[in-house]
Amino acid sequence: MSGFLQATVYGLLQGGLLALVAVGFGLDPFLGMFVSAAVLFVFGYVLQRFLINLVINGPIFITLLLTFGLDLMIVQGMNLVFSADYRSIKTSYASESLAFGGVRVPLGRLLAFALAVAITILLVAVVNRTRTGMSILATGMDRGAARLMGIRARHVYALTFGIAAGLAGMAGAMIGTVGTFNPSAAASFTLMSFVVAVLGGLGNMYGALVGGLVIGLVQAWGGQYLPGTWVNALAFLVLIVVLIFRPTGLVGRAFYASRQEV
Amino acid sequence: MRAKSTNAADSGTLAIGASLSLTGKLAREGVLTQEGYQLCQEKVNAKGGIDIGGTKVKLDIQYQDDTSKPDVAAQLVDQFNDKGIKLILSSYGSANTEAQAAVIERNGQLMVDSAGADNKIFSKGYKRTFAVLSPATEYAASIVKAIAELATPKPKSVVFLSADDGFSKTVTEGGMKKAKELGFTVLDPQYFPNGTSNVSSALTKVKSQHPDVIIGSVHLVEGVAIIKQAKELGVKPAGFGESVAPPTPDFAKTLGAQAENVLGSSQWTDATKGTDKYFGSAKDYAKDIQAKYNHAPDYHNAEASAACLALVLAAEKAGSSKADAVRDALSGLDTESFFGKIKFDSTGQNLYKPMSVIQIQSGKALTVWPTESAEAKMIWPGTK
Repeated sequence: MSGFLQATVYGLLQGGLLALVAVGFGLDPFLGMFVSAAVLFVFGYVLQRFLINLVINGPIFITLLLTFGLDLMIVQGMNLVFSADYRSIKTSYASESLAFGGVRVPLGRLLAFALAVAITILLVAVVNRTRTGMSILATGMDRGAARLMGIRARHVYALTFGIAAGLAGMAGAMIGTVGTFNPSAAASFTLMSFVVAVLGGLGNMYGALVGGLVIGLVQAWGGQYLPGTWVNALAFLVLIVVLIFRPTGLVGRAFYASRQEV
Repeated sequence: MRAKSTNAADSGTLAIGASLSLTGKLAREGVLTQEGYQLCQEKVNAKGGIDIGGTKVKLDIQYQDDTSKPDVAAQLVDQFNDKGIKLILSSYGSANTEAQAAVIERNGQLMVDSAGADNKIFSKGYKRTFAVLSPATEYAASIVKAIAELATPKPKSVVFLSADDGFSKTVTEGGMKKAKELGFTVLDPQYFPNGTSNVSSALTKVKSQHPDVIIGSVHLVEGVAIIKQAKELGVKPAGFGESVAPPTPDFAKTLGAQAENVLGSSQWTDATKGTDKYFGSAKDYAKDIQAKYNHAPDYHNAEASAACLALVLAAEKAGSSKADAVRDALSGLDTESFFGKIKFDSTGQNLYKPMSVIQIQSGKALTVWPTESAEAKMIWPGTK
């Protein structure tokens, strides 16, 4: 799971940059994101298969150390190659908004939201209904048993990491369209992706979506009714309260907590 | 390891320490600061070096990366002290500089501050930190002054949207005070976390109050977010002003057409008056940065070069590279430069230098205030 989150983070950033490159070729960012997703899928797969898999059987801290080390290298590498300049992908439509009475819905964010929901539903369908998806679930629950059933765990891990990186690439393209980013933005995305995943609950793919929506709402409401600087404190307060009453997260499944590490 | 190079003039070099934010969240500004220091070193050494009591010594600025963290920036100042380096050029930003200033004072070192503008740094009675830049209270106040003087019809109400770091809060306080003095209706300020790219709550709150002017006390990320999200949310004042963000080339590049007519305050523009023997005029400086680094000069470049220049001129005036002697020379320094006038008050601030107000017009940041160095007329209202 830690690897998944790490992939999310630099995938987001790399995705933004790749989307920029695609934009340079004349592609719209909402099309370019498929290019960045494909490139990052391959990148993520190779990284997990030939590097992270080497330490995956060791203690979890070794994996964490390796992925954080990679994170540092990749962020600094991007600093050197792309510079620390802030970037944003300009489109003619993303800043437009639809007005419903007094409420305005920004078009770029609406598109990003719709895509996030669609991709989550698609991912859940793939994982629950295809053999590949089942093998991902099985490996997550009990690696030893999965291996005995003939599942190639190495390949499954790499595939999962690749999917994570690819999704992050798409997210990066969307973030680039509605916001700004540079390589050092990685730290805040890391933190928030951990919070969102744990709050929503591990072991259920709708968890991240639910977690993200809750954090987004808490931040928006917090900013509205409290002094604006309280939003982060409030987000973490919600996380703590949820974990006290539901240690598996809002929609997390207990099986993840009791899974076997072999 | 370099051969024993201390502050002693007889070694042929004058070592100056600079901890810089070369990586981490301030990397962009940190690199611009380094460019400014490096250009200063080249300009000085091209003239044979600094004349210290009749001996020419070369400038040797040693850089360390503080990863944008104040505690590391302070530690690095200690490390320079352990190596015998007493003369320091500051890191980027108020938080780093504030941490460094305390160490400088304790160690008996001397620092010229290029980018720490928070007035708090200068309210602690420190005697060994000198800042070439205008203090934080001037950033938004200068925009308010420019609007009061040049905008027709004169706007009535103004609201401040501010990041919550010390520097930005001081900018907001200074701006609100000036706005009240000049007769504006000043609405309650809205704060958001430093470095956030989501300022929608603050904008939603001020939308119903229909302010004529929105001024952001921000850095680049929050500054871009205000303009982008104001459009998304349909918040439309007569004009936007922002500290720090608009003069950086990334602002217009990132926002494109949305950046048009946004006002900003700048420590320096190439329309600044004054010359000095190393850099010449502001226009000469702009050419040198363009030629060497292949981008238009940023005020972060200029304030870094100016800090280095002040240190060099003070060492020459003192005829010594000893921290105490250079300190005394700095406190008495009164000179023209490409950066404008450099003269410090008793707290170490360069209070005599005005800030410029720029406006993005056709993608370029043009000086519109003060009017005597204006390159263009202010366009008002700024939003169509």
